[in-house]
Amino acid sequence: MDWGKVKFFLGEVLRNFTRNAGMQATAIGTVAITIILLGAFLFVRATLAGLGNDILSQIEVSAYFTSDATPHQEAQVRAALGRDARIASVEFVSKKRGLAELREQTHGSIDTSLLTENPLPDKLRVKVVDPSEVPAVAASIQKMDGVANVVFPQTVVARLLALGGVLRRVGIGVIVTFLVVAGIIISNTIRLTVFARRREISIMQLVGATNMYIRAPFICEGMLDGVLGSLIALVALVFARLWLWPKLLLALPWIQLNATSVNGPMLSLELVAVGAAIGALASWISVGRHLRT
Amino acid sequence: MISLRGVSLIYPNGVRALDGVSLEIAKGDFLFLVGHSGTGKSSLLRLLYHEQVPTSGEIIVDGIRVDRLKHGRIPALRRHLGVVFQDYKLLTDKTVWENVAFAMQVTGAHTKDVMRQVPRALDLVGLAHKSRMFPSELSGGEQQRTAIARALVNNPKILLCDEPTGNLDPANTTEIMELLLRINLKGTTVVVATHNQAVVDRMRRRVVRLEDGKVVTDEERGYYYLGLGQGQILSG
Repeated sequence: MDWGKVKFFLGEVLRNFTRNAGMQATAIGTVAITIILLGAFLFVRATLAGLGNDILSQIEVSAYFTSDATPHQEAQVRAALGRDARIASVEFVSKKRGLAELREQTHGSIDTSLLTENPLPDKLRVKVVDPSEVPAVAASIQKMDGVANVVFPQTVVARLLALGGVLRRVGIGVIVTFLVVAGIIISNTIRLTVFARRREISIMQLVGATNMYIRAPFICEGMLDGVLGSLIALVALVFARLWLWPKLLLALPWIQLNATSVNGPMLSLELVAVGAAIGALASWISVGRHLRT
Repeated sequence: MISLRGVSLIYPNGVRALDGVSLEIAKGDFLFLVGHSGTGKSSLLRLLYHEQVPTSGEIIVDGIRVDRLKHGRIPALRRHLGVVFQDYKLLTDKTVWENVAFAMQVTGAHTKDVMRQVPRALDLVGLAHKSRMFPSELSGGEQQRTAIARALVNNPKILLCDEPTGNLDPANTTEIMELLLRINLKGTTVVVATHNQAVVDRMRRRVVRLEDGKVVTDEERGYYYLGLGQGQILSG
């Protein structure tokens, strides 16, 4: 390891970084604002998705057997469902237990003692692993022998699934737009710093420095901008999460927003990585433009 | 060491900077490239270090086909060459030492080589005692010597100088020319583009004269004007 080289390189990065303080501040600020918007957006999206998933994960598919289904048929259906990888759990509810549950749920408002025989069929209570497969699973159960009908909250599932799809698509669009806009602004800022150092670059080219070597300090500088900007953004986001979010929840008591589905440390790490990446990429592009001319 | 065959350079605006130039420069030569401003001296030098590409013709520098050089090979070519300019092109925020070391550091040289070569180059140009000064604290001659040290620190076989004394007074000019001569005596091929008649006439070296992009004269031990020494008046 040649420490002299390392020292020279870091010295160059630091010197460039401090010399164009104003431009660096612009780049850092741009990254910070981008990352704040991006982070807030990802947080809200994750919260909404979490809300939808919470509801979806509670959704059950009820499969009612025909009244003349034999125990053998019922056992076959249960076994078939048990083998299905899409299905998380299958619970058998006998007609007797069904009646008891019904009694419990209605708190005696229906007088079941009037019934001479139990009109309820046996049923299976099925939970699906991936909520988006609920309709498909329901359809396949429907086709089985001995199954009379399959019931699940169809419109809720459909709407939540549609919401999830929209969130995902809009989300990708918004994120890409954010990153492109930030990339353009940062690369323009870096271009100014490249321009300020064109003399140095021309000397480097003159003495035979490779393009990679000329680029490296700029890319480090861009990454530094990105990391610093996203750290500033994180401070703002953490502040918002700890201070503003509880107030928002209090202000919107009718929505059961649950931020626990958001993985804070992971999101922070991603945001810093994104910041560093746009910084580096923007530098790469703007120096590249200069080197070609 | 340097060979040009039928080299022409036509700028996009149609100006013919060089027109069928052929020139052989042997290893260890000391050559003056003379002519009025705009006759193609600088263009010719720029072709040699691939700052410009000829429109036609063949250029070989130290065995490298420069006119066909791929972009990625330019740095390798330039490490064989030292280039010195009229305006020194020093970095004002670096000391003399750092300016010279810069040429090695940005080409990825090992620190121990830098520590060995930089003092050697500064000794050669006589600036070892001013190595911690900044360019703004030096005279023009000293700045140019710094630039020469930077050009030489990688031990190039060829030193190209574009009007090296253009900004200097006669005393400093003499100093720089003596330095270039010393460098030449150590075996480095030196090419100097200049329109300083006094220098050329005093040194009596090979003189190649360009006019309108063409080589018009090429003399061993020549004068600035063909066959005329300093002090003689050329009419017309």
